[in-house]
Amino acid sequence: MSGRSLAMSSHEMHTLPVKQVVFHHDGLQSFVFPRAFDAEPGQFVMLWIPGVDEKPFSVSDVTDGKIEVTAKAVGPFSRALMNCKPGDRLGLRGPFGRGFRPRGRGLVVGGGMGIAPLRYLVHRLEQDRASFRIVLGARTAEEMMFVGDFSRLGAQFATDDGSLGRQCLVTSLAERLCEEERFDLIYGCGPEPMLVALKKLADRAGIDCQLSLERHMKCGIGICGSCCVDGSGICICREGPVLDRAELDLVADFGLPHRDATGARKGAPAMA
Amino acid sequence: MSALATRLSGIALESPLVLASGVLGTTASSLRRVALAGAGAVTMKSCSLQPRAGHPAPCILPWGGGILNAVGLSNPGAEGAAAEIAEFKRTCPVPLFASIFAGSAEEFGRLAGRIAGAGPDLIEVNVSCPNVQSEFGIPFAADPDACGRVARAVKDAAGSIPVSIKLSAQCASLARMAEACQRNGADAITAINTAGPGMWIDTGTGRPVLSNRVGGVSGPAILPIAVRAVYEIRKAVDLPIIGTGGVSCANDALQLIMAGADAVGIGSAIYGGGIGLFGEINRGLEDFLKEGGYDSIGLVKGIAHREDRP
Repeated sequence: MSGRSLAMSSHEMHTLPVKQVVFHHDGLQSFVFPRAFDAEPGQFVMLWIPGVDEKPFSVSDVTDGKIEVTAKAVGPFSRALMNCKPGDRLGLRGPFGRGFRPRGRGLVVGGGMGIAPLRYLVHRLEQDRASFRIVLGARTAEEMMFVGDFSRLGAQFATDDGSLGRQCLVTSLAERLCEEERFDLIYGCGPEPMLVALKKLADRAGIDCQLSLERHMKCGIGICGSCCVDGSGICICREGPVLDRAELDLVADFGLPHRDATGARKGAPAMA
Repeated sequence: MSALATRLSGIALESPLVLASGVLGTTASSLRRVALAGAGAVTMKSCSLQPRAGHPAPCILPWGGGILNAVGLSNPGAEGAAAEIAEFKRTCPVPLFASIFAGSAEEFGRLAGRIAGAGPDLIEVNVSCPNVQSEFGIPFAADPDACGRVARAVKDAAGSIPVSIKLSAQCASLARMAEACQRNGADAITAINTAGPGMWIDTGTGRPVLSNRVGGVSGPAILPIAVRAVYEIRKAVDLPIIGTGGVSCANDALQLIMAGADAVGIGSAIYGGGIGLFGEINRGLEDFLKEGGYDSIGLVKGIAHREDRP
């Protein structure tokens, strides 16, 4: 056999049983799989429910011989996932992509489901004895995941309804912290408008940022092209999902409508 | 002028390496990125008249010998594809090949007319995708007459833009297929499409992994099939050939060129090598030419046929 395009074994499909299901809130659960896993925080896995679909999910924690993924019921796949019980066999491929590259003093900012991969990030930062602050936002206290875990690390919270922490946008908390303290890097994961605000904050403060982007993914391995950003054209599944400030400057559709499963820009006329 | 410069149906290519259809080919931005990495031309993902979302995941699966895929021809439709072509042509000087697929010769013709209006440098005609058989039936590439009708319809609609027919290795006679293309006005032939289809079963659940159950086989596993196909087509016709299938290094590309290819497609290998592969293979080809004392890549083309000459 010539060449070198043999599959990385972690990208081949293997199914394994769900070891544990953690219930956070209605339609918000974590799934633990018994697999030793060598992933960077911010990398993602592909979860396959045989007969349903396969979708990308960020890793919310990795511990000895176990990997945990956290999901919210939003569509047919994630609703099917909520019905999975310990012992059910699911496909788990990965890790895929490029995660966070920690350095210096960090400000960790998360919103909504974007909080999940940051949990693994702060566990790693803690382990590495890094200096960091955490601010997290969600619609309500119930939708704020891992509150005990993050509180232990001094996190500040913001909710839309004021049911936990301050009633404001998480970016307001981030801005205030940036005025009061010195950071080298902003880590961010959450809705894209939040990421756009964080990028502006990093620009103003003259510091770097590493923000995790979402685009419509199919292959996860950088060949199908469905998750390519406009502008630089890089694949979010392979060169991302975590991009730094210089890379974000070259994303022409950052904060704008993305492409759908057909490759058409959402909102653009698509009829021939 | 670089030793790698070549011409294909009148199109000047700085390198014989062409991005194969289906890989990183949906948007102008990703095509431009591959062009800047050293591809002599880039081919878009196949488009249809109407937008298609394709098959659910898993639709692409790497395995030990390459990749299985049943993406299902997702594309933004003719209008969306034409906009990407126009944007690419506005911003990048590297030749751009469009790729089209349809369910009938008449529809192929209509689509070719729409796409030609956007000004690609060549139109590749995908008559051989193995992943949509339940929808479109057995590919046209298994029947010389049907394939010839498609070639004629596209050629009539494409105006001055050259047309290449993308064939499958799986037909009764590649020579008959190639002759039908030539007789009906095709300017070039692309060979081969993915092989199979194949199937991969997860032994933990006993289920086929691809949502479509079967998918086209690409990557190193099909290189020898592609080399044989190009060799047979070169024997049968004088048309330029874009040899595609399993190329992941300069030696693989040289095999296709020696079999008679004018240009060489690269697709699945980007999984293992990234887009830096284009620069890497270009350098490998240059080294080969230098060491062999060849001034131009054209001097290597088809030399595997020498032994057959009287």
